[in-house]
Amino acid sequence: MQMDEKGMVMNANSDNLPKDCPQISETVNLTIHAGHKHAVKFNGKMFAFDQQQWDVKPCAKINITFVNDDQIRHQFMIHGLPGYLYPDGMLHLELYGEGELQASLIVPSQKKTYLLHCELAQHAEKGMKAQLKVGGGNGDLPSIPGISAPIKTDNYSLEWSMLKLGGVIILVLVSMIMVGGRWLLLRDFKR
Amino acid sequence: MLKKYFVLILLLIFTALSVVILQWLPLIEKHAREIPPATVFNNADNANVEKPCTDDHIEWRDAQEIEGVKIAASPACEPDNPYTIATAVKGTNNVSMMTLMQSNLAQDAVTMGEDLDNDGDPDVIHIKLEVVELNGFSPDGDYLINTYNIAPGLQPSMWVFAPKMQGMAVKNFNSRVAHPLLRAPSPVIRVEQGDKVFITLENTHYLPHSIHLHGVDHPFLTAAGHDNDGMEEHAVFPGKQHTYEIQPRHAGTMLYHCHVQTAQHFMMGLNGMIIVEENAPNNWVQTLNIGAGQVRHSAVNVQKNYDQEYDLHYQSVDKQLAKIPQEANDPRLISQKMSRDYNMTTSTENYFLLNGHSFPYTLRDAMIIANENEHIKLHIANLQKSSIAVHFHGHKATIMAYDGVDAPQGLQLTRDVFDISPAQRLDLSLKTTNDGLNSYGAGLWMFHDHVPTGTTTDGMEPGGNITLLAYKSFLDAQGMPKMHNELFNDVFNKEYYAKQRPPWASGDWANLFGDAGKVAPNYGELIAFCAVIGVLIGAFFLTLHIYLRKKLYEK
Repeated sequence: MQMDEKGMVMNANSDNLPKDCPQISETVNLTIHAGHKHAVKFNGKMFAFDQQQWDVKPCAKINITFVNDDQIRHQFMIHGLPGYLYPDGMLHLELYGEGELQASLIVPSQKKTYLLHCELAQHAEKGMKAQLKVGGGNGDLPSIPGISAPIKTDNYSLEWSMLKLGGVIILVLVSMIMVGGRWLLLRDFKR
Repeated sequence: MLKKYFVLILLLIFTALSVVILQWLPLIEKHAREIPPATVFNNADNANVEKPCTDDHIEWRDAQEIEGVKIAASPACEPDNPYTIATAVKGTNNVSMMTLMQSNLAQDAVTMGEDLDNDGDPDVIHIKLEVVELNGFSPDGDYLINTYNIAPGLQPSMWVFAPKMQGMAVKNFNSRVAHPLLRAPSPVIRVEQGDKVFITLENTHYLPHSIHLHGVDHPFLTAAGHDNDGMEEHAVFPGKQHTYEIQPRHAGTMLYHCHVQTAQHFMMGLNGMIIVEENAPNNWVQTLNIGAGQVRHSAVNVQKNYDQEYDLHYQSVDKQLAKIPQEANDPRLISQKMSRDYNMTTSTENYFLLNGHSFPYTLRDAMIIANENEHIKLHIANLQKSSIAVHFHGHKATIMAYDGVDAPQGLQLTRDVFDISPAQRLDLSLKTTNDGLNSYGAGLWMFHDHVPTGTTTDGMEPGGNITLLAYKSFLDAQGMPKMHNELFNDVFNKEYYAKQRPPWASGDWANLFGDAGKVAPNYGELIAFCAVIGVLIGAFFLTLHIYLRKKLYEK
């Protein structure tokens, strides 16, 4: 753990290989930006990372440069990592304001999608959520902006117009005549 | 003849049957016969009874010294974290890493600077506040996140100013419960008269906010010529920060609150107390009092004149308004529902909180705990929508200051009800001297807002801001009042505040005050009713059939 007046890093790991990794497969340098401005491209979101998904090979070493573009605190947290290397399964980068931080991690060989988010109240909920796919991952996590739908969705007003309303009425009339027309034919039926 | 009147007869039969239906219509309620229904015991299983006190941090209760800061004892069930107190006194830049980690404050949350007047305490102070939503929406499932219970089972969404913290906003990585630093009310800020104080609002929330320093001596503009009054048109937008500058020449109990969409944001909880203490040598004040309540490290002049000090923050919640952030995730929808769809002039108060909790949770951290012959200083602020009339059982206290201005001798009134309008403050002097005026002796004396609804939680009594002025001899080892176990089983239960359990329905009186059972329907009438309805519908189709066939034959 490393901490100063600008921010902190918890559980960084640049050297220890996961049990299932004989060696590092690739070294990836990722620069990840966080801030309000990255959410502008997503309707109805307030905070976001500049990207929502990163793909790496199994046993990759990732050198993260975390950049905070806002004047407030943001975090970059990865969950679900092996606990024997990363206590509580987390890697945690936090910036108390504008600035940047560096930290590395080595991912295990398992094909898995890891959750990345900012853990400040309502930041992940309002868009600051992404995923890291190792070896293609094992599916998408819910409510990643631009990638997957939320489990609990919002309701918006339906877009109605006179034209659409007219269309509906005409469709109903046509259907009526199609069925009703047959009934009209029955009027010829006697006994 | 019969054929002639066929339609008329049919109509008569229909009418008669319809009247019969109305007679036999099964209703929700029914008159009981000679024997009313038996009592139903719906409180038989106490599965939802919570432990009144969970004893999470026994070691925090003792008087202790951390980083050279003397911290008074707090025998309450849920005492404040002494490491946070020590850090709030010394500053996040003046304590060891160990203490800072235990306080959970960010390293720049409370920074102490120069001692301008060379009197042994810092006079340049930087305080950073964030905005936090409690009991907020989650798009990831049917649950709330950063939960904070104001009373058993009650989780209205609330917005609070929170000290800038580090790490997760939840208790731990597999919990949805808000971190203990994130709670209602917004923290009490304490500074010294003449200090150069910089309060930075870092807007971590998804809507614009501001800080207005109500009653605190502050210039209209900052030194750089920017807004310093926190008004509507100078909102701090999400992801942005703004620093307000004060150097208060006048001491007293004041307020701070968000002044953006004030009616809504104030009611959501964006308000707190800021207390300017008199200048004195070596006066290291407790910059933050998280959750208000007992001040465990009082200012020099308070220590000189009083044995104890408490901050009492009265606040209310409109459950309709508080529901809005839980019903949508899109900030545009929340803003629309809150600012336009919901008419604040129809707002009502449903929950009444003292120091962020309603009874019975007030017993955990919002009691005044006293010995006999103590002199206690109280700062009371009314941050709710309606006026309060604070009443102490068994005691009369004396007003020392109104709205942060010392009361002249003639206005230092000794009373047992204190009427406080919205946003007003009173400083009270409370003596636990058993003389028949100041105090009637040791006990578990209730104190509460005497406006009758103030003691209820959405109408359920006992609730609201009820708490106790408790003498230590009447508390158990956990800091909970003795002799209340039976009541505890009733009220430390979410079913009670969900209105599923009746009051008094335990022990000998369970039979009398349990819920009355239901009355069985009259089966004869019910069968007849069903039969008649069936006959009517059948008759209608039969008539239709005959009529249509006739028409066809006629062709």
